[in-house]
Amino acid sequence: MQTGRNVRRALSVVPWNAPCSAATAYDMRRHSSIWASVSAAAILVLSPAFTTGQAPSAPATGVPRSADGKPDLSGIWQALNTAAWNLEAHHASKGVPAGLSVVVGAPIPYQPWAAAKRKENFENRLTADPEAKCLLPGVPRITYMPYPFQIVQTPKQLAFLYEYVHAIRNVSMDSEHPPGQIDWWMGDSRGHWEGDTLVVDVIHFNDVTWFDRAGNFHSEALHVVERYTRTGADHLMYEATIDDPKVFTRSWTIRMPLYRRLEPGMQLLEYECYAFDDEFHVFPP
Amino acid sequence: MNNRARRWGAATVAFLVIAAVAARSFSVAAQEGGGGRPNIPPMGPSGWTPPRTSDGQVDMQGYWNQRNNITTYSLQDGEGDRAEHVRITGGNAATGKPIVDPPNGRIPYQPWAAKLAQFLFDEHQGTERPENLDPVARGFMEGIPRINYQGGLQILQMPGQVVFLYEYGHHWRVVPVDGRAHLDENILLWMGDSRGHWEGNTLVIDTTNHNDQTWFDQVGSFHSTALRVTERWTMVGPHRIDWEVVIDDPNVFTQPWTMRLNYGRNTDPTYEQMESAVWEGNRAVELIVRPKQK
Repeated sequence: MQTGRNVRRALSVVPWNAPCSAATAYDMRRHSSIWASVSAAAILVLSPAFTTGQAPSAPATGVPRSADGKPDLSGIWQALNTAAWNLEAHHASKGVPAGLSVVVGAPIPYQPWAAAKRKENFENRLTADPEAKCLLPGVPRITYMPYPFQIVQTPKQLAFLYEYVHAIRNVSMDSEHPPGQIDWWMGDSRGHWEGDTLVVDVIHFNDVTWFDRAGNFHSEALHVVERYTRTGADHLMYEATIDDPKVFTRSWTIRMPLYRRLEPGMQLLEYECYAFDDEFHVFPP
Repeated sequence: MNNRARRWGAATVAFLVIAAVAARSFSVAAQEGGGGRPNIPPMGPSGWTPPRTSDGQVDMQGYWNQRNNITTYSLQDGEGDRAEHVRITGGNAATGKPIVDPPNGRIPYQPWAAKLAQFLFDEHQGTERPENLDPVARGFMEGIPRINYQGGLQILQMPGQVVFLYEYGHHWRVVPVDGRAHLDENILLWMGDSRGHWEGNTLVIDTTNHNDQTWFDQVGSFHSTALRVTERWTMVGPHRIDWEVVIDDPNVFTQPWTMRLNYGRNTDPTYEQMESAVWEGNRAVELIVRPKQK
């Protein structure tokens, strides 16, 4: 694992499909990544019509597709759960709705020191949470904050536009991460298709952001693999596998549906978190 | 520190906050032969017609930035406004003059507004109150039209919408071109509410619902919530878009005023926008705002 990271840095290039964990659960993905890379290579030399039939899993019928034959993920989406407060199961408290865990195979597998740190974060959450300072929230947290986001889809690039502080994630398709380590708030996102699933590999994070308001956290070694699958006209299934060998004992996964915002005339508005301080709204006489 | 040095330091910090991030865009212009001087690509040959997207829009997709060597320090023509900028840059100030109407290149403030603009201009060299600082230096959104000349931008198009991604400070702007009405007037936005339509090769964007917190440059050019911005983005060549913006605010100006800029395509096939986190590391308020020395 650690060796793998060092090799990547030595090469100064991180392939988008680089396996990043030796954990058993991850090996499944590793194999599918290999298939995806074979398929991606094929796309370079073969006609689109042919490669569409070579996707690793059979295309689902009835899924609306964009002009290049890929599932159309564009639109305005939002999570409808309580992961923003706490990824794990929790009862209600003042201002916090109760919620089921979105962690597959909970609990989150912290290393002992990290479990203590997470407890400390929880106790200090009202001031220690980066969200309280309006800092960019990182990935995957921004996905399930209580604000809508919009996916803009083109064949080579998907742009994720978030209502929360106008955050942007650019997902370049079938491209390589830049050499790092780079400390970016939102990481560096590289995408590819595995059948009808958009897979986004995200690295180059800082160690500041949290996963929720309950103090769940990571280091700069965080590696997130997101999977977006359109499961119906108005639903995406969202899955994020989280790997961070400095903090967790193994990789772990969150999963939740995302819902299309169906209101007529729906559009993203604004939540400029850092502009709400009263001192900034005194206009000169 | 004496008063003059303090003011110089404050203005330098304010300028650098903006300049540091815009530097990447300038370097792109330099790579394409700009070198900080106007570098406007040629128009297409006679009879040239721009490519179209699958749904029939003029295809403006790509990376662009203004090539007129203007600065967001001050939009107005005239020695007074530029003097501080010339001093900060050691004489290398951008010299582009974006305002074409009125012909004197000045913002046509009403008398009361001219007084406030002068007050804010004086304050930008050193203030006790954060609210008198450039909103962008404080980490807030640029607003429309200012973000268009802050740095590089990317245009993506989908059926029914044109999307602008701006590198500076992760600004985005979705422009529906599907004929929908503007938002309820009660909704005020830092980036306004944009509605577009196509007139030939021109994307016309009407932007309303602005709050009154954004400026047009760094030195206090302001507006009210009555602001209405009309932009015309015309594709005139494979590597050039001409941009005209009419700024109307009957509460603040004596007449609508017009700016024109030319945008050039960034033809580097490897170019990508990088993260630009502004608020997260911003120390402008902390460094600039301090009690005035008597």
